[in-house]
Amino acid sequence: MNGAIEIDSLKKCFRPSKKSKEKLIEAVRGVTLSVKQGEIFGFLGPNGAGKTTTLRMLTTLLPIDEGQARVAGFDVKKLPQQVREHIGYVSQLGGSDGSATGRENLVLAARLYGMSREEADRRAEELIGVFDLSELVDRKVGTYSGGQKRRLELALGIIHRPMVLFLDEPTTGLDLQNRVRLWDEIRRLREHGTTIFLTTHYLEEADELSDRLAIIDHGQVVAEGTSRELKQKIAGDVITIHPRHTGSELRKLQQSLGGQPFVRETQAERDTIRLYVKDGAEVLPRVMAILEANHVALDSVSLSQPSLNDVFLKQTGHSLRDTNSNLEGQK
Amino acid sequence: MKILLEIRLLFWRKMLESLRSLVWVISGLMTPLLYLALFAPLLNGLNSPVFGSDRVLDTFVPGILTLMAFGAGMGAGWITVWELQTGVIERLRVTPVSRFSLLMGTVLKDLVIFIMQALLMILFAALLGFHLHPAGLTVMLILLSMLTAIVSATSSSLGLILKEISSLAAVVTGLQLPLTLLAGVLLPLSIGPTWLRFIAHFNPMYYAVEAARVLASGTVYSHEVRAAFLVMLSLTVVTLWWATQVYRKAVS
Repeated sequence: MNGAIEIDSLKKCFRPSKKSKEKLIEAVRGVTLSVKQGEIFGFLGPNGAGKTTTLRMLTTLLPIDEGQARVAGFDVKKLPQQVREHIGYVSQLGGSDGSATGRENLVLAARLYGMSREEADRRAEELIGVFDLSELVDRKVGTYSGGQKRRLELALGIIHRPMVLFLDEPTTGLDLQNRVRLWDEIRRLREHGTTIFLTTHYLEEADELSDRLAIIDHGQVVAEGTSRELKQKIAGDVITIHPRHTGSELRKLQQSLGGQPFVRETQAERDTIRLYVKDGAEVLPRVMAILEANHVALDSVSLSQPSLNDVFLKQTGHSLRDTNSNLEGQK
Repeated sequence: MKILLEIRLLFWRKMLESLRSLVWVISGLMTPLLYLALFAPLLNGLNSPVFGSDRVLDTFVPGILTLMAFGAGMGAGWITVWELQTGVIERLRVTPVSRFSLLMGTVLKDLVIFIMQALLMILFAALLGFHLHPAGLTVMLILLSMLTAIVSATSSSLGLILKEISSLAAVVTGLQLPLTLLAGVLLPLSIGPTWLRFIAHFNPMYYAVEAARVLASGTVYSHEVRAAFLVMLSLTVVTLWWATQVYRKAVS
């Protein structure tokens, strides 16, 4: 038990609304994880899977209903104060003070962690350099762009050199260029020995950035390991078929393809069928032959290596991309 | 002491924020002047035995100061909701800073602003003929500061609990009117019917207003003042304790 974060059967329930006598909603249903010192750990899952709730329990913001959690060596339930001294946290909202300048934000944060005036000034100056903020740091934060604000907030999160840094959806709302830049900053923090725990609903982010990751769905961890390990569990290739006509024919097609000896597993979604096969290049012609024999009109067929989305799909029966876009559609 | 440093740092954050929003500074300073300029003349026209001839301002100013003490604390919740939505509160809550300090930064800021407004009001009122009794006024400002602290702590805690402007506004303004009317801020309740005076006794603000009038007349030792300090001091302690608990548990 000497990891940076050790979580054992963590649980959290919410009452849907204060007055209702409805059943409690189980937001986190027994999450067990361990994060090693100095690694970037990705916590991947769709919106509403319980990522933020888990993170908020680990950062002492939300009481733990059941289970144990140790962060930076301290029991979160018993020693929240010690935990707070050793962690940094950048929430989805960011939390910089828009009416103050970037420098004022930095210096105040440093002083609240107990640094003297001089130390705080020095540390602020150092981070201004690291995050390339010098041109805007004396302007009010309210005038910053999304990417600039994120960089400042990352600096605020590490001002006290925390052992463990929690990032909640750090790149949500950023364009690709700023996202890649932030990824670089985050990797650089790891080089300095900081353990980083980040939640994300972007597959690419989890894949690119994390040394190890856990996939969470409906409040439970469904897979944990390095990105490579997780993908290897699926071993082989993925053939994705988009037929032109969907509906009952899709099911029939899935069954007839699934019955083939060279197909390990199939997954069907609204308009696609995925076949998990050992050697895609070899079996693709055979698949095409079956499609032709069945007079299936196609939109597209593609052959690819398994992605984290396939891992997610295999473990949960639904696609992470779909879940995300559904949720975003609702908003 | 660590906690004093924290409070000082958080107080300055709030203070700078207020001073920087010019609109608020101006409207804050205008309030006392508007009352004196636009409301006090009406009272002069009332040839009423309630006040006595030149005692109009002496009765009126303490009431308005109480109203201002209430108003100075009232806005705290609005800022709290805003800071919840921008994540500032969450960021501060993950630091080791004591929850009491988080609360007191806001409370102290409101208190200082109230004192500044009150001094300005007293100064202008004096020019218009308000009788100055320094000892009484000092004690009065201490008493009314407690009111600001109570309202400020309550308002920001309600902000944390309700989390949105609309319901906060409904609750706070819903409380403001009965509390201030039942305290006799504009006209002394002594001219009202018995039932009104009876209900007023359940309103803590009533004691503050009664004591403020006595203090403004220069009398420091009186049972009104003792009663008001007893009520306000206990209420301050209870409110600050409760508000600290809210800051500790707040789920945003």
